[in-house]
Parts: sequence; structure tokens; C-alpha cells
Amino acid sequence: MSRMSETVSTASNAAGAWTNPLRDPRDLRLPRIAGPCSIVIFGVTGDLSRKKLLPAIYDLANRGLLPPSFGLTGFARRDWTEDHFKDFVKENVQEHCRTPFKESTWKQLAAGIRFVQGTFDDPKAFERLSETVAELDRDRGTRGNHAFYMSVPPRAFPQVSRQLADCGLAKSDKGAWRRVIIEKPFGHDLASAKELDRVVSEVFDPSSVFRIDHYLGKETVQNILALRFANAMYEPIWNNNYVDHVQITMAEDIGVAGRAGYYDGIGAARDIIQNHLLQLMALTTMEEPVSFSAADLTAEKTKVLSAVRLPKDLAAHTARGQYAAGWQGSHEVVGYLDEKGIDPNSTTETYAAIRLDIDTRRWAGVPFYLRTGKRLGKRVTEIAVVFKRAPHLPFESTATKELGKNAIVIRVQPDEGVTMRFGAKVPGGTSMEVRDVSMDFGYGRSFTESSPEAYERLILDVLLGDPPLFPTTEEVNLSWKILDPIEEFWSTLGQPQPYRSGTWGPEEAVEMLARDGHRWRMP
Amino acid sequence: MIITMKDTETREISAKIDELHEERGEAALGRVLTLLISTNETELEHDLEIANNASREHPCRVIAIAPSSRKANPEDEEHPTFLDAEIRFGSDAGAGEIIVLRPRGGLIRHADTLVIPLLVPDTPVVAWWPNEAPANLSKDLLGSMASSRITDAMHSSNPQRTMDDLRRNRSSKDVDMSWTRLTVWRAMIASMLDQPPHLPVSNVRVTGQKDYLPLDLLAAWLRLRLNVPVMIEEDPDATAVTGVYLTRGDGVLSLERPSTDDGFAVISVPGQSPQTISVPARTLEECLSEELGRLYPDEIYNEVVSRGLELVKPRQ
Repeated sequence: MSRMSETVSTASNAAGAWTNPLRDPRDLRLPRIAGPCSIVIFGVTGDLSRKKLLPAIYDLANRGLLPPSFGLTGFARRDWTEDHFKDFVKENVQEHCRTPFKESTWKQLAAGIRFVQGTFDDPKAFERLSETVAELDRDRGTRGNHAFYMSVPPRAFPQVSRQLADCGLAKSDKGAWRRVIIEKPFGHDLASAKELDRVVSEVFDPSSVFRIDHYLGKETVQNILALRFANAMYEPIWNNNYVDHVQITMAEDIGVAGRAGYYDGIGAARDIIQNHLLQLMALTTMEEPVSFSAADLTAEKTKVLSAVRLPKDLAAHTARGQYAAGWQGSHEVVGYLDEKGIDPNSTTETYAAIRLDIDTRRWAGVPFYLRTGKRLGKRVTEIAVVFKRAPHLPFESTATKELGKNAIVIRVQPDEGVTMRFGAKVPGGTSMEVRDVSMDFGYGRSFTESSPEAYERLILDVLLGDPPLFPTTEEVNLSWKILDPIEEFWSTLGQPQPYRSGTWGPEEAVEMLARDGHRWRMP
Repeated sequence: MIITMKDTETREISAKIDELHEERGEAALGRVLTLLISTNETELEHDLEIANNASREHPCRVIAIAPSSRKANPEDEEHPTFLDAEIRFGSDAGAGEIIVLRPRGGLIRHADTLVIPLLVPDTPVVAWWPNEAPANLSKDLLGSMASSRITDAMHSSNPQRTMDDLRRNRSSKDVDMSWTRLTVWRAMIASMLDQPPHLPVSNVRVTGQKDYLPLDLLAAWLRLRLNVPVMIEEDPDATAVTGVYLTRGDGVLSLERPSTDDGFAVISVPGQSPQTISVPARTLEECLSEELGRLYPDEIYNEVVSRGLELVKPRQ
């Protein structure tokens, strides 16, 4: 076959155009396995690392997606030996891994585990880290490819970046890569986000900085793209001719728990809306990208985010709240102001709802309602696209009294899937009567019982250097531009309206939608 | 839950399944495909167990056809024709549902019409022959209605002859599990070559069990993709593929797995210390699951059996 000989001849071409002759785009069976590399985790004893990162790395190894030359280095203050640390990793992996725990996988992974004890202000510790990484290159064959995972508060970023630069770890020789992974929050407003970006990009090349928004690693979020762009039946109605309004909700049932120190002063909008909800909105509303490459996806997301318009009257179209004592489901909980570590006079909001408009031909006139909160009715994240009523109903008005608006709901978590709501005839009776029914697609039922965790996908993407699922600096900046005026307005208001724990938020939010003639969905 | 239905009809089976769905508040809609298993009475339970485990990843309706050897009443005619069936639900059926059909007599020659009323509507049909495969899959009654056909020549009574038949009558819808068993090896070899220096490979040697189909396919694939001589070396003690050696200007890159028992493989690259990696032998569940995960024609496999095999193992 001629295609064959072409592949072979390109393979023997100049080094720049080298393609692996064993790889063929038609060969979809071959998984992408990361090349030789190591990952260094700062803040390895933290919650995120214990519950998500370490288990995800094990699961990747178990799925055969990590290279034989793989190293995992933990950096922490604790005075541990390497064996202590290995036990710590094993314990957490066993507790939280998704795939079965296999001794053989573990043995293999454990051989590449290292521990460096130290603090971020200690240059000696970073020298030791540098030696450890060099030792991995030598003994494990990681070939100078290293990723640094900053699972630490953002205020530590500048210091860690500087130390990495000083000990020569931030830059690599030709042919090898260094990447840095940072977690939200990417600043607390536009100015601080830019400052953070400046600090990190002073040390790392901008294309080596991976910002993790773990929502983008979720299968259901990627399914938004499949739903919209792989199907014929949704896109024709995905515009202001048919869509009435869109509600994007992320509700948590927990309180601030152990995050009091971080959360107070930050609040729900900065914590959730700025990143997760605006990203979900961008994916729901963007135009079709030319391809799913990072550059094309980012181009579309950036376009739509830059077309976002804030309401003129922020008082009428935004709402904030703070949870008060109550019963969360079946147990009694304290209010936000009584939580440990929270200033009793705090004006931080634990509930935020905002209306946004998108000034494009597709979306002009369609309001987008974003809401998030803690201690709400239950834990749920969803995107609900609510459609206009049919322009003419050839029924008696009494027949459609119980008929709501049609809706397509993308359930992001839990119970990932898609629900469609439409009207159907109530059986029997002498007259026509129409009522809402739901049609349901559940991911777990049609595909697999356990799909990969978001962190597995994202960590693998970093190791492969594949950036489509990571927000860029520009997206982060645009998100802050949207949120900053709202935060500024809120800062003039004083105490947020209290709401009873376990309910769906403050009265203010209900009124905010009522003004537009809408009502929040009960997810 | 297992419901046994002796001497029954497809209409009754269908009605029973609908009844069970209604009773249990389930819908057949979640099933993404129908998996037909053409097997025999002795292997049936083993095959179902494998399908059960694979169904956890791909919820499907499994229809197993195992001709019955049950004797009807002695006073009946000498060649009785009847259909026994079993429906398995819930914990006895993984994440899907299982229908076992045990036809006897003339019904065996009409396997397709037995199955047609029981297929999940408007979803792909996958046929799997866990042991013996018909010589011509596209002419087979079950094969011809399937959109994907999976055989397992290695588990047939004569692997070499089965593979020869499959090759002679091949179609783009077919795939043999001998190929699926290689995916991990292929992936590791490909990622070995991903790493610099990107020098051309000049020749290849693969070692493994004598007359082992996956070994031949691996050699054929490398021969086709790299366009260099590939030598197959038989290792008398081996029970699988044991090694791949790629010679380049800078030395030999190798991937060796001396034994499948401990499941460790060693990768050696010139100028690097050898690295061990855990590569347990692939289970049949994993292979079936991989096949159910991809229902498009495998063009690479097709090239390997249509042109590659001939190059590394010319037919006598």
C-alpha cells in the first residue's frame, strides 16, 4: 500500500520531521504512554496529594500508562526517611486508588519513589532535591524530564519557583523538558493573577506552565464537546432562537471544613465561579473549534469569554449569601460565622449567584445564571439549558397547565449523564393533558462503572505535554475581568444575606431570578 | 437470578425479559451492544464469566448459543428439535443481562433467526467465537449479522489452520484475539522508539513460544511498519512472547519478559541502565473488553494479516 511506504520514508527523513514508524493515526488501540520522566510534588502530605494525586499516579501506573523510567519525589517538611514516605504513599494509594491494588505495580512504582525533607526557604533542601532528581536521571533513566506539582498555597509559588530556578531545576538541557503544574486559585483578582503569572513565567517558559482546573479533566465536561459537536440534533437549537436561559450550578453540601484559613476573605465566587463555572459556561457557549487542539479550543473559549457582558445593575442581578446554622440533611451544623477559624464578623460570601450575558449573535438576549454555594441542599454540579416555550400550543390552556419548559441538563456530578425534559400526554382521561417527563442517559449505565478520575487524565496530559484541557493565562485573566467588578461592588455591601444550611440559598437569589421572570431549578 | 426455560420459544424469552425489566425498573436502553457468543456446553460457563467481567465496562446484552446435548423423551423421534433457554439477571449477569440458548436438532442450522428477535434494538452486534471459529465468518449465519467479529484462533483445536482460514476469508470486520494480546507489547515498543535518538532500525529479532500466533503477528507488524528484516526465534521453554530486539546504529534496544508468571519485563536501551516494568500477561477479560471498546474496523490488523504475515512466514 502506498500509504505504508510514505510513512516509512518520512521516518527516515531529517530529524526535525521524525515520526515514529510504529505509530499510525489509524492505530487507535495503542495507548499514549508517557516517556521517561519524573514528577516532584510540593506539599505531598496535603489533602489533595493524599486523596487525589498519589492515587491517580498509582492508577496510571496500574493502567500501564507510565513509563518504566518513572520517578516520584515528595518534598515536605516532615522529618521522614524514604521508607516512611513510601509507607505513607502506599497507605494513601491503598485507601483511595480506583483500580485494584496490585503488589507488582506497587513494587515497580515504589522503586522510583524518593523523599526530600526541607522547607521552601532552605536552599540546601533544593540542592538535595536537585541531587535526587539527578540521581533519578542516572539510575532510573528519567532523562532530565521533570514535572513539578505545586500542591501548595499560592503565596508559596514565588518562593518555590525562585528556589527551583536558583538550583538550576527550572531549565533543562536540550531535548529534555521541565513543566510546572499549578492549582487554583490563580490569584484573587486580575492584578494578582498577572503578578502570579509574571513570577512563574520568569522561571518557567509559559508553554511549560500547566494550570489545573480539575473540572476540565472530567469525562462529563469533555462530553459537552461530544454532545454539541458530534451530534446533529443539538446544535441547530443551541442559540437564542430556542434557548430561553441557562443555569449553571455547582452546589456543595459541606461547609468550609478544614479550608477556613484559605476560604475566609476569598468566598464562593472567587473559589468556584471564576474558574469552574466560567469554564463550564465557555464550553457550553463557544463556537465550534476548528479542531480539538489546544490552540483552537483556547481560541474559541477566549472569544466567548471576551464577549461576556456584566449586568448594569449589579444589585439587581447578583446575589450573595452566608450559611447560617441549621440541619444539613439529618445532622445539625453551625453557621459560617461560628465555624472554627472564621472571623465572627466576616463578610465573605458562601453563596454567590450572578447573571451574565454574552454579546454574540448566537447568545444575544439569553441570560446565563451561575450559582454556587456551600451547605446547600445536596452536592450537585449541572448545566441546564432551558428552552423557550413552543410558540403556539394547539391545546386548551388547561391542558398544558402543568407543562414546564423543555430542558437539556448536563449532569457533571454526581451520577454523570444527560437528562432531557419534555412534555408528554398523560394517559387516559377524556381530555388531552400534557405533563413534564424526563429522558435520561447515565454514563455509568451505558459505558463503564468506573471511568478514570479527572486527575489521572490531567497528570498524564502534563507528562505527555498535551495542553488542550488546561486553561491559559488569557482565559484566567478574562475570567478575572468578569468577576472583578462584581467583587468590587460586593465589597461595598457589608454582611451577605444569611440562609439556613441545607436549603438552596438566600432569598436574594430567588428574587434575582424572579425579576427576570425565571425560577431556579431544583437540581 | 437465573431463570431456566425448557423447551421454549424466542417469543417467550422476549416476553420474560420485558417482564423482568419492568419488575426491576430497568430499561434495556442502557445496553450499548449485543454480544453473541458462539460456544459449546463445556466452555459455556467459562465464556460467560469472561463476558460478565467485560460487561462491567461495556454494559451489554449477552446471547450465548451452546447447542444442547439433552436427550428428549426416549419415545420421541430420533433427532428431536427443541430450544432450551436460560435468562440471567442481576448478580449472575455482571452489568448486563445474559440469555443462554441451547438449541437442538434443526434449530442449530437457524441460529440467526433464533437470535434476531432478541437483539438490543438499533445497537451494534458483536460476535465472539471463544474457541472454534467457522472457516468463513462473513458467510456464517451469526457472523453475517454482526458488525464486529472476534475470533480466538489460539483456543481452537488447530490454531494454525484456523488462522489460515481466517486470513483466506478475511474481512475488515474481523479481528483475532491473538492481535489483542499484543497491544501492551506494541505500545511499549512504540514508546521505546518515541525517545531520542531517532535512529533508523536496521533489523529486528523477536523470540517466543513455537508456533505462537501473537509472536507471528508481532513480527509481521514490525516487518510492515519498519520495513526491515524481522527474524522469529523460537524459544523452547517459552509460553508467550519473550523478547523483542531492535538493532539500531547505537546498539540494541530490547524488551524482554522471560516469564509471564512474575509478570516483570525489562527494557534496555543503549546508554541507559535497564529498567523493570510490571507487565502481567493479559487476561481474556482485558482482551474482550478492549475489543468491545472499539467497534471500528482495525485497518492495521488487516494489513498485518493480509500482507505482513506472508512476509515473515511465507506459506509452505
